[in-house]
Amino acid sequence: MSPDAPRTSGPAASIGNLIRRPEFGTLIGTIVVYAFFASLGGKVFLGAPGWSAFLTMAAEVGIIALPVGLLMIAGELDISVGAVVPAAALTCALVSGHYDLPTWYGVLAGLAVGLMIGFINGYLVSRTAIPSLIITIGTMFGTMGLTLGLTVLIAGSTGVFMTPDPVAKLMLGESINFMFRVTIFWWLGFALVIYYLLHVAPWGNWVFALGGDRDSARNAGIPIRRVTIGLYMLSGFAAAFVGVSQVLTFGSAQVAAGQAFIFNSIMCVVIGGVLLTGGAGSVVGIVLGTLTFSIVNQGIFFSGLDPNYGSIIIGALLLIAVMSNDTFRKLALSYATKK
Amino acid sequence: MKLSTFLATTAALAIGASAVYAEGADIFVIGGKPDDPFWSIVKRGAEDAALVVEAQGGSVTWLGPQNYDNLGVDAAELIRQAIDQGADGVIGPNWVPEAMDPAFQAVVDAGIPLVIYNAGGLEAADRLGALNYVGAVDYLAGVAGGEWLGNNGGTVGLCVNSLPGAANIEDYCNGFAEGMENTGHTATTLPLPATAQGNVTAVAQAVRAHLLQNPDINAVFATANLDAVGIVQGIQQAGKAGQVQICGINFDEAILTNIKSGQQACAIDQQGYQQGFYAVSILNGHINYGLSIPTREILTGPGVVDASNIDATMLGAGKGTR
Repeated sequence: MSPDAPRTSGPAASIGNLIRRPEFGTLIGTIVVYAFFASLGGKVFLGAPGWSAFLTMAAEVGIIALPVGLLMIAGELDISVGAVVPAAALTCALVSGHYDLPTWYGVLAGLAVGLMIGFINGYLVSRTAIPSLIITIGTMFGTMGLTLGLTVLIAGSTGVFMTPDPVAKLMLGESINFMFRVTIFWWLGFALVIYYLLHVAPWGNWVFALGGDRDSARNAGIPIRRVTIGLYMLSGFAAAFVGVSQVLTFGSAQVAAGQAFIFNSIMCVVIGGVLLTGGAGSVVGIVLGTLTFSIVNQGIFFSGLDPNYGSIIIGALLLIAVMSNDTFRKLALSYATKK
Repeated sequence: MKLSTFLATTAALAIGASAVYAEGADIFVIGGKPDDPFWSIVKRGAEDAALVVEAQGGSVTWLGPQNYDNLGVDAAELIRQAIDQGADGVIGPNWVPEAMDPAFQAVVDAGIPLVIYNAGGLEAADRLGALNYVGAVDYLAGVAGGEWLGNNGGTVGLCVNSLPGAANIEDYCNGFAEGMENTGHTATTLPLPATAQGNVTAVAQAVRAHLLQNPDINAVFATANLDAVGIVQGIQQAGKAGQVQICGINFDEAILTNIKSGQQACAIDQQGYQQGFYAVSILNGHINYGLSIPTREILTGPGVVDASNIDATMLGAGKGTR
């Protein structure tokens, strides 16, 4: 696990190289899962309704999974995303709904909340020796409590309602052809930016280095505090973005929302081949992992399988995906050492 | 059971009678936090009934806990506080029977007439020797939703359960199935996996997929506020707006707007205002004039909000009574 271990940028030179890329296992997983549900779900799943269903779901969890994946590559976790989603949604609804200010004020306020919580996470993680898992669990509960308390204090209710202005709704919450939510394109945008950051810009090397060996990274002169704070602000921003886009889409925000994003985002990242111990992973892998996760989640409803057993399939898939990733990673590493 | 109720009632009558000549009935109401959105509506009903109580020389005092961290014990403490302050009558919800039953028992033992409301049901009222129960029943709320949809064009129903295993949600869904069956139709339940919990997009997409895969479903029942908003979008995205009707438990501003615009057909309400209003009125009449309501178990719900009463409901929501 040296800092420069499985970097995965650059075009594949041959099929052999392609197969040995760590994302290959994930890609196979995505295809297998799609084929499985396509055989059960039939025409509806193969057509636009099926694609829009899992893409819409993938877009939201995917926007959060990308920066969470970066954090995991850097060897950290962020549990607080589950609390940032409703915190940002309610901030937006309170500003633009309860106080009736222009929608953009609410959007900016919501995003600012995400950046602020991210900054606090990053600051605490980089200044203390406490594991990030514990710190972000702490900030998660803190954020949840503040969200509930302040919402009830200000609005006198646990749900807040807003009517977004049409331009804001068009950009963040509308669906194309009543099916494809615009968040899908935002997800694509997030993926491109984060691909650039991780695989093209020198900053990406620092992230891998942090996950590989923090002390060596510091000794090599990498500003690890700044990188850590930046990573957490990115994940806070992404979670806030999803919260804001949900409130613009549905016109209503509830304090008890968002919990599912914690495990869902980590699952997408792990299915996507990122090592839980840090130091390895790729944006393409995370995107494919998110797709796999969403296909399974939505496929269940198209397949005619008993939804009572849906969670079993999701759990089994996660384990199988991680096992096959390990197999492909070993394949890739053993080939490299033979050379 | 009946005998004990009778004895409690006569004992209460004797004490109540002496209170009449003093200064009317001093009624204590134990309820939720006053800033809780639901309980503020119940409190409003109690306050409106208090106008009559006060005109007859009595008073109504609202006792609510500071928070819900230790609900049963705190509420039991409030009940005892009401006895100590010389209550002529006590109204309380039986939230946590193990913690609260002894306190309610102390009320009855002191000869103070008691009304159970909001939680506990008639069973708790009978067990404790209370005059009556004023409140709603979850199962019946489901039945009301099923019957409304079944009577308004729904033939194949679906209850969306985003919290599989929660007892009250199961009651809603089972009730909904019975309501649909009562009108000669059928219903199934769609349980959502834990990965969809609290994620309105996931709820919307799951419902859309299920509707596309089961094109005969034309009546959907929601068991939570945000679910209803998500399901409305799920129906739209399935291209079935106008073909699939949705009804849900409870409502908020977003849901009222959807009912007003016709995107949601109806909402089932337990009508908290009625709980506060009738509990206080029944007790006041009983203490002052020995009046009784022979109907036992006063159901305040299910009340239905649909296109026929949406304007009045919205007006009430604006005035804090709904």
